Amino acid sequence: MNMVVSRLPPAALSLKQFLQRQRVLGLYRNMLRTIKQVPDAADQKYLRDWARDEFKRNKTATNPDAIRMMITQANNHLEELQTSLALAR
Amino acid sequence: MAARVLMQCVRSLARPSLRLCSANLTVRAAAVSSTAPHRSLSFAGDSARTRWLDQTRISSLSVSCRQYGDLPPLTLGGIQERVMYVLKLYDKINPEKLQVSSHFMKDLGLDSLDQVEIIMAMEDEFGFEIPDAEAEKLMSPDEIVQYIADKKDVYE
Repeated sequence: MNMVVSRLPPAALSLKQFLQRQRVLGLYRNMLRTIKQVPDAADQKYLRDWARDEFKRNKTATNPDAIRMMITQANNHLEELQTSLALAR
Repeated sequence: MAARVLMQCVRSLARPSLRLCSANLTVRAAAVSSTAPHRSLSFAGDSARTRWLDQTRISSLSVSCRQYGDLPPLTLGGIQERVMYVLKLYDKINPEKLQVSSHFMKDLGLDSLDQVEIIMAMEDEFGFEIPDAEAEKLMSPDEIVQYIADKKDVYE
């Protein structure tokens, strides 16, 4: 009797994981775009390095709830940065 | 007599080197003709102006091309050069290992966060935004060049 074997490679992500990954990458992109608007060049470099470190440090996390928490945290940071930029303009 | 003076002024303006941009000269001619009273003098000024405008138009054929405030046209080779230059400046890439066909993740050992940074650097370099859905598919310099050439209508 033929069993239906999944043709996906073992390392493929589930749909939820895939969506979360896309969300994280989109968040990273928005973060970098917002950081580019910071007026001071030294601040920009500092923020970019900080964002890079934060994202890279948690790159290997697998627990979806932890990942969701981190995404929310990053969103908060992003909104903070955006409001400060809007106020400073 | 005033007309004769005006003619001399205009002719002396027309004599300077062709490198002067014609806008500059037309401004000066407008200033010259506005100081003179209307009717006959302005008519003379117009004819003189059109005469040396013709001269400048004919002489402008010696100028190779006119760019009205736009960038020079993109070529496939130019795009590739700029893409490779930006990639060589990126600190995570080893410039010796970098080839046009090298895959960011498989050959150069980068991860998706680095790829996001690279695509953003390309957006800065070429001055237009690349949407997320298409950006995540670009995994080698060659693909980036193809995408930019596609978006900017560069055919060769």
